[in-house]
Amino acid sequence: MNNGSDPLIRLNSVTKVFLTDEVETHALSGIHLDIRPGEYVSIAGPSGCGKTTLLSILGLLDTPSDGSYSLKGHEVANLSFADRARIRNREIGFIFQSFNLIGDLTVFENVELPLTYRGMGASERKTFVTQALERVGMAHRAKHLPSQLSGGQQQRVAVARALAGRPAILLADEPTGNLDSRNGEAVMQLLKELHESGATICMVTHDERFAQHADRTVHLFDGRVVEDRIAA
Amino acid sequence: MFGGLWQDIRYGARMLLKSPTYTAIAVAALALSIGANTAVFTAANALLLRPLPVENIDRLIVPVTLREGFDPFGSPFLEYAAYRDRAHCLASSGIARALSFNLTGRGEAQRIRGASVTAGYLSTLGTKPVLGRTFLDAEDRPGGPRVALISYALWQKHFGGNADVVTQSLVLDGRSYNIVGVMPPGFDLPGMADVWIPLQTNIDSLPLTERAATTNTIIARLRPGVSLGQADAELKAIARQLEQEYPAFRRGWTVKAVSLRQDLLGDLEGRVHRALFALMAAVAFLLLICCANVANLQLARGVARERELVLRRALGAAPWRIVRQLLAENILLSVIGGIAGLLLGQWLLPILASLNPIQGISLAAFFHDFSIDRRVLIFVLCVTVFTGVAFGLLPALKGAGAHELMPRIRQGDQHTGRVAGRGWLKGLIVAEIAIALTVLICGGLMVQSFQRLQHVALGFTPDNLLTTKMVLPASKYPEYRQRVAFADNVLERALSLPGVVSAGLTTNIPLERETAYDAIFDVEGRPPHNPNDVPITSHRIVSPGYMETLGITLMRGRLVNQNDRADTSPVVVVSEEFARQAWPGSDAIGKRVRRIRAGQDFPWMTVVGVVKNVKEDLFNYRINRPVWYVPYAQVENDFPLNLVLRTRVDPTSLSAAVRDVVRAIDPDQPVSNVMTMNAILSKVLVTERFGAVLMGTLAISGLVLASIGLYGVMAYSVKQRTGEIGLRVALGAQRKHVFALFMGEGVRLTFFGLTIGLAMAWAATGLLTSLLFETPASDPATFVAISLLLVSIALLACFLPARRALSVDPIIALRAE
Repeated sequence: MNNGSDPLIRLNSVTKVFLTDEVETHALSGIHLDIRPGEYVSIAGPSGCGKTTLLSILGLLDTPSDGSYSLKGHEVANLSFADRARIRNREIGFIFQSFNLIGDLTVFENVELPLTYRGMGASERKTFVTQALERVGMAHRAKHLPSQLSGGQQQRVAVARALAGRPAILLADEPTGNLDSRNGEAVMQLLKELHESGATICMVTHDERFAQHADRTVHLFDGRVVEDRIAA
Repeated sequence: MFGGLWQDIRYGARMLLKSPTYTAIAVAALALSIGANTAVFTAANALLLRPLPVENIDRLIVPVTLREGFDPFGSPFLEYAAYRDRAHCLASSGIARALSFNLTGRGEAQRIRGASVTAGYLSTLGTKPVLGRTFLDAEDRPGGPRVALISYALWQKHFGGNADVVTQSLVLDGRSYNIVGVMPPGFDLPGMADVWIPLQTNIDSLPLTERAATTNTIIARLRPGVSLGQADAELKAIARQLEQEYPAFRRGWTVKAVSLRQDLLGDLEGRVHRALFALMAAVAFLLLICCANVANLQLARGVARERELVLRRALGAAPWRIVRQLLAENILLSVIGGIAGLLLGQWLLPILASLNPIQGISLAAFFHDFSIDRRVLIFVLCVTVFTGVAFGLLPALKGAGAHELMPRIRQGDQHTGRVAGRGWLKGLIVAEIAIALTVLICGGLMVQSFQRLQHVALGFTPDNLLTTKMVLPASKYPEYRQRVAFADNVLERALSLPGVVSAGLTTNIPLERETAYDAIFDVEGRPPHNPNDVPITSHRIVSPGYMETLGITLMRGRLVNQNDRADTSPVVVVSEEFARQAWPGSDAIGKRVRRIRAGQDFPWMTVVGVVKNVKEDLFNYRINRPVWYVPYAQVENDFPLNLVLRTRVDPTSLSAAVRDVVRAIDPDQPVSNVMTMNAILSKVLVTERFGAVLMGTLAISGLVLASIGLYGVMAYSVKQRTGEIGLRVALGAQRKHVFALFMGEGVRLTFFGLTIGLAMAWAATGLLTSLLFETPASDPATFVAISLLLVSIALLACFLPARRALSVDPIIALRAE
């Protein structure tokens, strides 16, 4: 969905080179990518094509070797660790393949964690967390530990954690990779609902079936964008 | 059941080789603690357990005569005869008097130690000669033949170990004695004797003054079934009877029966026992810390190896089989650690021996032999196996008890940070910190007590002082004027030596381990309020120049000088404590005191000077005993003479010159104990030094081990939680959040351990009270300072892994997850 507004994310000639001993690996080469508010973009491609590297740069977990990256109109490619952490905390919500819930924390505390780093007050945090859990249908499991949940439930909690801080964009890295097909479909349905309610989503997947849930699919191959297709 | 044991051991060896860092750390920790245990047990073995060359030592006792209830003296014949005739608890007894002889006719004249003993003395000890025989009853009668037994060392040195020694003779103090036997190696009771002659005295016919003289050592063997406590009670009752029968001689005297070993250790108050017990407890604690450390490493490895163990379970291994495999691996590790510990212990032993709390005693060859024997090896083996089981059992049981096999095999834990076994790791580290704090506080108190003892005001300046002892034989110096002339001559010549600043003579070097003379005194016009009070002073007979040489501070009046001769009015110089006790609140100068002793009459002496308190007596080091100094020329005595020189050069450089001075006056006069005052002082606090150095070392070792343990757990925690760190960073955690996460965990563990440790230390230090000098067992400053030290080190141990957590790359961490 392209509503014609200013891009939320703009990558311009982004390159990422990894140096290992004497080997130089070009993970990304001259990537140009705009993502506008409200878009649901899937990034697809074969294993090793640079999907996760691209997602890491989008999520400010990594910095490009070359090129520029603006988020909400601000250049963020070369910010300090602290500034990147602050922006990541406020503007980006992560959903991981392996859920990455902290086993020692309850469902509520897991969802609350990014809000804690934001310095938000306790009552406000409670409101945000409760709303996020209700949105994914997990409010009734707030006091449970992750180990007491099924894989699908854990991923829903992970989605709630990503949503809780009301970020500008959700970045999902193979969100169904560790789920059976039924739970996988349920999570994709959840993302679709979020998108329909206005969320901007960028999802990495190698599964064509799930890629089709997005409005737009960007195909990568050998670190380059080889196709940028908008769904009919 | 044990069919695959060899396979388990081989597999265990492979696993240890596969993780060289882990193996090296574990072996080092085990070696440190087992080595420390080995060394301390070897000391305890040498001092408390090793057999001595007497028969059934546990049944031998020494009735120690005490003045004022605590001050040990020699025993009088009076007591010996009373015990012999009245005590029902004793099967046999004997008495000996330590002597010294001038040995001549065998090279350079030499002063040797010896003893005159009753025939019953050696038979009660049950020591058999290696050559010849002991004394016959007929030889122990007045007018009996001059016969002697010699020590094994003397036999080797002067007779080349020839068997015909029993046909030869020995010249002692100018008299010839026929040698009848050679005692076994190392035997030198009493008083490090090299020669024994029969007492040949009819005790009951001696004058009362001689019977009451406290100059002998009694040895007794308990009847079967009689305990030390029962014997002590009976002998005390007899001592009370003697006090009533001979009040003039026995007032203020009592007795304490101690085991021969305790007497030999000079440990009437059980300080050596308690110090060794404290050290054994400390090394046991160290071993526990080490076990906790290695168990932590094992648990950490166990978590990493969990999937392997679960797979074995899935393939049909019974829990016992898993336990056996892990135990085999652990015991293999502990055996390697045990061997390394034994080698370390062997290396530590000379250091420990140099700190030996027992100095200059009889049977030193046995008490100073800190070598590893069969008993020590058995101990090390037991400790090693115990250690292996102690640190290995918990991880083994945990490894064997894994349930939910399939989810774990599939690595189904799709969440971060929940690691099985971390609770145990935390529990063990809390225990380590608590134990380390306990040992540290105990060590801190002992070190502090030792430092306070070291800084006790001596009342003199010990640097640049050389001392030497001369025992003038009565046969050569029968008249006192001859002794005075000899003393004057020695002083005059010594003063002319280059490098000598001043010189003096005294009957006792301060704080020496030889017999220290004291006296009961009477103050003119001030009889004691309680007739049973026996005011006692250290009794020092000194030449002019002695007090100046020692550096004693004169407070009022004057010191002993050349004008204090035999034909002038008797004078005395007293210490401030003496003056305080004798004339509280008034000036001592011009007042008169005298020595009192039943059956003897001593002249009044006028106080001409008051000096600052001086630590003269070793036994009274911890208290302020009164001291008086009387002029050598005015008090006839046959005590040994000690020359003291203050030098402007290294005092040891004058040793030969001092010998030459004495030899020039009397070529047959032996000189012994040529040593510096600082060397004498170094032996004063041997027990305290032994305890403080070892306890301090153990405490620091415990601190290091606990810190390594905490560091290991935190580092392991960081490693295990790498994924979680990455996740938190991905969720927006700043560096401070990650840092606080791990520091917070370390701080919580530290303070939990600290709380438990403080409670444990509070209980443990109560047991140290009797070992401490001017240091309360619950000294708040020590508790606070040691706690702060431990917290600082622990925080540093947490800081390093926490800082490492900051460098975790979230992308790699999340990818690994």
